[in-house]
Amino acid sequence: MWQDASDGLTYLLSQSGESLLRLFWFVAIFEIPRYLLGFISVAALSVRPNTRSLPVDDSDRVTVLIAGHNEEDSIERCVQSLREQSRPPDEIIVVSDGSTDRMPEKLRQLEERGLINEAHCTQVRSGKSAAINLALRRATGDVVVIVDCDCTFDRQALKRIIEPFADPRVGAVAGNIVVRNARHNLLTAFQAIEYLVSISQGKQVADLTDQMSLISGAFGAFRRVAMQKVGGLDAGGGEDLDVTLRLRKAGWRTLFAPEALCYTSVPETLSVLIRQRFRWERDAVQLRYRKHGDLMNPFSTGFSLRELLHELDFLVFSVGSAVIFPIYVIWLFVTYGDLGIIILIGAQIGMMALDGATFLLAAFVTPKAETLWLAPYILGYSLFNGFVMRFVRLAAYLQEWIVEASYRDTYVPSKVHRVRR
Amino acid sequence: MTAATAPNLEPVSHAAPGRRVLVAEDSPTTHEILKLLLTQRGHHVDIATDGEQALEALRHNHYDVALLDFHLPKMDGIRVATTVRSELPAHSRPRLIAITADLPGLLAHTADCENFDLVMPKPLDIYRIGQLIEEQAELGDEKQPEPLKPGRQSAPSLASAAIPAAVRQPFAIEGLGYEFLLWPEDIDVRRLSARAIQATLGDPRFDAILITQPVSVEALASLWERKALFALPIVDLTGTLGRMADFDGADLSGTEAERLGRLIRDFQDRRARLHRDLILSDKLSEKLLGRMFVANRPLTAAYDPRYRHLAAYDIPLGRRLATREAEALCEHGLLKREFFERFHICPSCDSYRFHVREECSQCRSSNLSEEQYLHHFRCAFQGPESDFRRGDELVCPKCHHELTHFGFDYDRPGTMVVCGSCGHAASEPSVGFVCLDCGVHTDSEVVPTRDVFSYQLTDQGVSFAEKGGAVLGYARQALRFADLPLELVVALNAAAKRYNEDKTPFALVNILYRKESEVVAEFGARRFAQARDLFIENLRNALAKPNTVVKGQSHDFALLEAIGPEQAQVDFDHLKERASRTLSVDLGAMFQAFGPEDFS
Repeated sequence: MWQDASDGLTYLLSQSGESLLRLFWFVAIFEIPRYLLGFISVAALSVRPNTRSLPVDDSDRVTVLIAGHNEEDSIERCVQSLREQSRPPDEIIVVSDGSTDRMPEKLRQLEERGLINEAHCTQVRSGKSAAINLALRRATGDVVVIVDCDCTFDRQALKRIIEPFADPRVGAVAGNIVVRNARHNLLTAFQAIEYLVSISQGKQVADLTDQMSLISGAFGAFRRVAMQKVGGLDAGGGEDLDVTLRLRKAGWRTLFAPEALCYTSVPETLSVLIRQRFRWERDAVQLRYRKHGDLMNPFSTGFSLRELLHELDFLVFSVGSAVIFPIYVIWLFVTYGDLGIIILIGAQIGMMALDGATFLLAAFVTPKAETLWLAPYILGYSLFNGFVMRFVRLAAYLQEWIVEASYRDTYVPSKVHRVRR
Repeated sequence: MTAATAPNLEPVSHAAPGRRVLVAEDSPTTHEILKLLLTQRGHHVDIATDGEQALEALRHNHYDVALLDFHLPKMDGIRVATTVRSELPAHSRPRLIAITADLPGLLAHTADCENFDLVMPKPLDIYRIGQLIEEQAELGDEKQPEPLKPGRQSAPSLASAAIPAAVRQPFAIEGLGYEFLLWPEDIDVRRLSARAIQATLGDPRFDAILITQPVSVEALASLWERKALFALPIVDLTGTLGRMADFDGADLSGTEAERLGRLIRDFQDRRARLHRDLILSDKLSEKLLGRMFVANRPLTAAYDPRYRHLAAYDIPLGRRLATREAEALCEHGLLKREFFERFHICPSCDSYRFHVREECSQCRSSNLSEEQYLHHFRCAFQGPESDFRRGDELVCPKCHHELTHFGFDYDRPGTMVVCGSCGHAASEPSVGFVCLDCGVHTDSEVVPTRDVFSYQLTDQGVSFAEKGGAVLGYARQALRFADLPLELVVALNAAAKRYNEDKTPFALVNILYRKESEVVAEFGARRFAQARDLFIENLRNALAKPNTVVKGQSHDFALLEAIGPEQAQVDFDHLKERASRTLSVDLGAMFQAFGPEDFS
């Protein structure tokens, strides 16, 4: 065994640049560019002058919209943390979407105490999109901020997320989502690293390159007129990705506000996490390649270079890396036999180093989230992300491709699935 | 109703401002007691022992009230009153009250009687005198009755009221052969006719009170201020009293006349069974209980929108007073409550008259409209139905598809209540209360409530009505001066004098026998009487002179000299033990101590 390992090491060290590329083509195609983009953007961010220092228009009214189903336990904390904002919202509208717990009663109390302005309670569940649309129709703010019930906010979050609207071309701004229960277990610690890398840092890259294609429904701000022009949210899962794509198609700019921090709880068990990711990936595939497939069709009216880039980004670095990876592994073993395992380990070590560097950069650009303590978990995260989550994604893509499972998701009521586009 | 704007009258406390009172009375015992009691109530009392002295005093001093004995040495009370009335101007004349043991004798002087404002029969009812002097207005309840200002009234007399009855056209009902007292001819807010005074003494020949002119429940308070009148049925010819009267005499067809006869007979029978203690009681609570017993029906609350408090009882007494007295009777176990209604109360003016409405939780407007909202599944648009309305079609405002099939492409997940005044929307309206009397708005969550009850007599209440105060024994704390044996009154008077002179304290001990009924039931009344005598004898021996032990009717008394009630109590157990030592039965003796302060 040790002999094999040292033979392998000797083999790897004796490779030339060109032959290394032949061995590690997967990493070179699907991983290195992703990291590289990150490094470049952070470098660019640190030298870029702050172009967002436009004067903030305080006369803008801000309405917060919250939709929840059976959220009697979390709604009050969420509302309280909104009321604690340095720039408090002018209006809070909450919709209890067919709740069967005591949420409607809780909302009445909150309204009586003056903590929220309007509460609507439907008797049957309509789904998050419809609930938000109802609230949107009642909203009077110039900017509407959609938040999830289980979110709490940094005191400056609201102020930061509405600042970019000083630019009239801006249609929507994404908040920075941080994991609140990172210390709960290994799984939540891994997700905390993942959020930091993919959202806190990843979205800064997207923002820099005008590729912000997902304003998360957990914490996102929208210009109300823009939102109403595109008809609000559409039926079905992934409504946040969908509306972002539609806003972009309509010509609005979408940005990221890294300092608008929102804390959320992530799944604490593997089964819940897997279910969540299945849903996300299925919805992404269904929206990007079915509903918004025209973005990649050069002959359609929706086609543009800026939309093509994030579509390709997803196709290559999410779908591609998941689909090709098993092929790469098989190819390794077929071509190199026992040496394949050494090569794989070598590749993994290289990616760990890259992950570590990326994490440090992300922690560096989001100092407020205080995430440096997560550094020791990088090794585990790298393996978890590289093997477990990659296969979860692959399974989700295959499932969606073959059986269109996104149309059976319980996130959306079945009456809606039956008729939605 | 003017009652709506009247202030809330809580019972007037005993701290009424002091009055100047002249007592013209030749019996030293009577005037000493009067002076003691009235002084302790905060009044200034002058004593005159004959008619000339009295006249002198009245000419030279200003008094609010003068109590004149009919039979005074040198000049009788009637002459004093006649002279005062002729000499003094109305505004400086005191209120003249005749006190006499010879009521028929006084009333024989019909023409002169009218110079008195009021006649009080002897033995004197000391509490009634105190009330008169302080002009307690509490019977007014919802509305204060016209106060009895001394000297304000000049002409109308006690007896002359009977005269118009002779000249006016008699009512048909009077032809039925009953003995009626007429309102306002015999009884009104200020004075009573001679017949009415006779009725207040418990004279059984009167059958009913006939209301011949519209009258308010407030005015009828005078029925409750007097004795015995409350026990007569009220026949209302005017229809203004409604269910507060016992009989509506407006229509007297054959069956109605029969019914009236039955009612009067029933009242007579029940009145005969009502114990004298209650007929002649001064306490409003006892009158109320007596009334319930005689009328033989529970005190039943019913809605009455004419009053601020929306509920009235079926007796001619204001709700607030009736409630207060009935609650006191409940405390003693004489009545029991039955829930009638929970009313909401205006926190600002105490009215119960509310307009309750659905309103906007933000601006409190009741200009609300309710709208269902639709959910279009296909595009997730969710909004009010009016957004979808295109004639008789429902078209989605977002995706312009027609809604065709409820439950398949759309549904109605809820409703929205939109305020027409401020535009606020909610899933449910708030409920608010607006006071109809003062206009103040109150949220439904914070509006206070009060419960109103009906009351009925308990077994104990019935036996109290039939057997009088003896039944209650220990249950009642109040000491009634009128109950005291004469021997004790004299001793008490002496003790009170010493107390007034040098603050020498005294303690009056009221001795009750809690186990009387048990002992009587088991061993017979004679055995109880023997045991009680022995107990008194033992106690007399235990308490050396100058202490006095006096046997009373239903209870016994001991007057302890030179010791206050608190100190006296220390020895009670020891005394009881010594007095019971040779007794073969347990009387359940209980001592209650009263000191000089309790006689105020």
